[in-house]
Amino acid sequence: MMKILIAEDEIELQNSIVTYLERDGNVCERASDYYEALYKIDLYEYDLLVLDINLITGNGLDILRVLKRNKSQTPVIIISANNSLDDKLEGLDLGADDYLTKPFHLAELNSRIRAVLRRGKFGGMERIEFNEISIDTNSRTAYVDNSPIVLTRKEYDLLLFFITNKGRVLSKEIIAEHLWGDHSDLADNFDFIYVHINNLRKKLTETGGKYIKTAYGSGYKFMED
Amino acid sequence: MNKKIKKIPLIQKTSKTFLWIGLVLMLGSTVVLYYYLRVVLQAEVEEELRSTESRIEKSIEEGGMDYQLPPVAEVVKVDKLDMEILKDTLIYDPSQNELEEFRELSTFSSINGQNYRITVRALVVESENILLAVVLSYLAIILVVFIFLFYLNKSRNQKVWHPFFRNLEQMKSFSLTSETPIELMDSDILEFSELNDEMTTLTNKVRADYKNLKQYTEDVSHEMQTPLAIIQAKIENVINGEMLEDTQYEQLTSIQKDIQRLTQMTKRLTLLTKIENNQFLKKEKLDISRQLKKNIQDFSEISTISIDFEICESIWVDMDSFLAQVLCSNLISNAIKYSTGHKNILVNAQNGKVTIANAGEKAIRHPEMLYSRFYRESDGAKSTGLGLAIVKRICDLYGFTISYHFEAGMHHFTVSFIE
Repeated sequence: MMKILIAEDEIELQNSIVTYLERDGNVCERASDYYEALYKIDLYEYDLLVLDINLITGNGLDILRVLKRNKSQTPVIIISANNSLDDKLEGLDLGADDYLTKPFHLAELNSRIRAVLRRGKFGGMERIEFNEISIDTNSRTAYVDNSPIVLTRKEYDLLLFFITNKGRVLSKEIIAEHLWGDHSDLADNFDFIYVHINNLRKKLTETGGKYIKTAYGSGYKFMED
Repeated sequence: MNKKIKKIPLIQKTSKTFLWIGLVLMLGSTVVLYYYLRVVLQAEVEEELRSTESRIEKSIEEGGMDYQLPPVAEVVKVDKLDMEILKDTLIYDPSQNELEEFRELSTFSSINGQNYRITVRALVVESENILLAVVLSYLAIILVVFIFLFYLNKSRNQKVWHPFFRNLEQMKSFSLTSETPIELMDSDILEFSELNDEMTTLTNKVRADYKNLKQYTEDVSHEMQTPLAIIQAKIENVINGEMLEDTQYEQLTSIQKDIQRLTQMTKRLTLLTKIENNQFLKKEKLDISRQLKKNIQDFSEISTISIDFEICESIWVDMDSFLAQVLCSNLISNAIKYSTGHKNILVNAQNGKVTIANAGEKAIRHPEMLYSRFYRESDGAKSTGLGLAIVKRICDLYGFTISYHFEAGMHHFTVSFIE
């Protein structure tokens, strides 16, 4: 269970993020403006801060500065409507752990949060486990029943994305965007995703492959039987 | 109506007019002077002849002798009177020992009952010489005056028009994208001053409009991100919430796809605006071929169409690395999007040029429109219609040239990196 502060002034977006993250059993606190965010980071300890740069009453980057000045260890993920490289670099230079441009998929945000938390808490040494499957995020290796399996880069990313978003319906669009970013619009059909998923299923063998399930005909869901 | 008119520089044009008018006036006045003087001189000679003639007549009347002084004067007795004759004639002049032209007046008169023909002559050469001397000196004076006036006029013109020419250069170098307003030279000529005011007002207005337009594009793209983010997040929560019908799921993912399109579009519009705003100032030396290789590798994972990098020479350019990546990626993705019949895409990097060719059915109808925003040759929904516009902007920014041609069933896009 993680305690996450969502500093976002758009209440609707804030609600959606909270709903999505709380389903995993996380506790989400909300801050709807600059001062509320400042107040809360001053008062409480969070495992992670999701920070909007353009808060109505102030700049999110200033909150980041305050955090770093106070030597806080809380990792920060910036979400911004501004897609400029400079802003991104500035945010990362100030010590943010990741930067996500609006609009984003909640599954993507979730997977970034997991990655940041892994890096922060366990120095990247954490093993992610799901029944028979385990992933060593440091060496980027997956194991089924403790025997390593050879995955391509994309197959590994796919598996990690599935496990961090377990129990969620992932549409082909979301998967494509996670794997290929801006280029995903090039694919006229998503057959290539089907190919990747099929390969992944085969490599995970009977034992691990069964967790990748089809949802609503064209989407996927990673879950127990 | 729109006939092509030959363009002549202003000073040259006015000088030319001056030259022609001056020349015509000069020649015309010389001709007039010549004839006028000739008539005057002839009248003078005639008057002189008549006066001599009347003197001779008088001397005969007073019982003078036969008056002979050839060729200047001759008196001959004749039987009957005739009409007087005035003519030019050639007569041998013993004093000059040659034929000379004379003006000759023959009159008939009866003096003391005897009929005489009195002929008096005057040398024409003399009056011709005077005529020539006058006309030539006139011509010389007027020529000197004319040349003087011509240069004076030219230098005056240059001086008077100087502010105009300077401001013209200013306007030529005026760029919409530059931040500085146009600076015009003031002049004591009212019309020029008015022209300056109008130009300044006009350019300021255009600059303001352009700035507003850019700001608008930026704002719209920017402000759209948040609502899009909200829609996207809500859809994801709906999909993960209550159990849905398959058709409902299809509808929702289809909305997600549209959101993605919108997102792509606003991202690209913002990028275009940024390039236009000159916000990419970092330059580094990089190899385009290497960038292409990287992009081709990325694309080969998504696309079922394979990409052949046939000739791969290094092309070193000085540019922003992000823009280099965008340039290569847009060119290749354009080729993938519009390739037909699953034929391989061919990429060549050679002699400072990159050519990317993809199969197509027929040449593009309006190649000049290719690089305009939102121009699509076919209505493929895959395209945002901004990819090539961005490529063109990047090329313009660094002075590269992009060209298109259709050959052997392939669309070829060539970017030349040689400035």
